[in-house]
Amino acid sequence: MKGLILAGGRGTRLRPITHTGPKQLVPVANKPVIEYAIEDLREAGITDIGLVLGNKGRETIQETLGDGGSLDVDITYIIQGNPLGLSHAVGCARDFVDGDDFVVYLGDNILKQGIDELVDGFRERDVAAGIALQPVEHPEQFGVADVDESGMITRLVEKPDEPPSDLALIGIYVFSPAVFDVIEDLDPSWRGELEITDAIQSLLEYGHDIDSHVVEGWWKDTGKPEDILEANRLVLDDQTSSTDGTVEVGAEIRGDVDLDESSVIRNGAVVRGPASIGPDSEIGPGTYVGPYTSVGSETTIHGAHLENSVIIGNAEISTDEKIIDSLIGRGVAIGSADGLLPDGHRLVIGEHSDVKL
Amino acid sequence: MKIFTLTCDRCGTIVAANELEQRRVMKCPGLNCQSVLQFEDLAADEREHFFENRNEYSI
Ligand SMILES: [Zn+2]
Repeated sequence: MKGLILAGGRGTRLRPITHTGPKQLVPVANKPVIEYAIEDLREAGITDIGLVLGNKGRETIQETLGDGGSLDVDITYIIQGNPLGLSHAVGCARDFVDGDDFVVYLGDNILKQGIDELVDGFRERDVAAGIALQPVEHPEQFGVADVDESGMITRLVEKPDEPPSDLALIGIYVFSPAVFDVIEDLDPSWRGELEITDAIQSLLEYGHDIDSHVVEGWWKDTGKPEDILEANRLVLDDQTSSTDGTVEVGAEIRGDVDLDESSVIRNGAVVRGPASIGPDSEIGPGTYVGPYTSVGSETTIHGAHLENSVIIGNAEISTDEKIIDSLIGRGVAIGSADGLLPDGHRLVIGEHSDVKL
Repeated sequence: MKIFTLTCDRCGTIVAANELEQRRVMKCPGLNCQSVLQFEDLAADEREHFFENRNEYSI
């Protein structure tokens, strides 16, 4: 079985973070989102992985993941170019898949429990596809599946006014190569894309059986800043931390704090976990790093009070203000306006930033 | 919709026809690969089908 990670999306809902990099590399608990997908595939025994890239950030993704060797997988890059839809992305992988069964994993999804059960279920039953589902509160905002008593899917509906169930498609599928033939017969939807739900619906119409698997544990699509913060919170809650770095005498650590060996928590700083601090960073005196915060690499924080936030990296924070529920991009400097006249905030903020003062 | 791709024989990167057509001749998008890929490398019937249905491959 092979794996296919779809990483072609443009990440417009994550601007301005995605002005300078692809959304699949935004870190959650100090690990790029896409690595969670790679790890889930590897844990399900799938190491031959195709990565479908669009127009945005494709060099950066290749530079970060290389041939996959550092993650014990073998990555083939597939350039989709224009975002012509998920079925188009899958269709571009036909030569890579080469007649095997394969898992499709949206590159910005994170699952608590991995994909083993979905993959095992597909292997045990003679079906053309297996689809991961999860109950959601507002099924009318999702692609929703109608499922019979034995778990087989009978129908799919996209954002239905009257949902047949509360089971949403979460963006992880297993397909047999039969899907390539139905994709060839698909027409673009009203928005000009080849839709994955249309491919699945076609499989049903051609009489193929499609199994479902309801995912237990949390699932997060990290498309928006608040989703990144929530995913960070969920992952940190489950982390097994290792405080390898330097904790100076007089620094205070409570709870699970993952501290890289090259980083330091200075005398007079307080870090309350769950939290993660990446390489070459310094938590200076007078700083409070509160629960559910991830501080990326090469970041210095002096005096700030941080909570429930993700600092991506290379940042310098030297204000003593409270910063909460925040996603802070690479290379950002947040200083203090204390003593500056006239009184007021001083901002140099990029396009599509979102600031509450 | 028929989807055509070309595989770089040096680095194995796979490139969709719509991407090739947009650039006609391009450096392989595989990192550090010096190969040159061209739309013309696709089979004649694939190129013909692509042109006949061109609007489907652009957005
Ligand atoms: Zn190449």
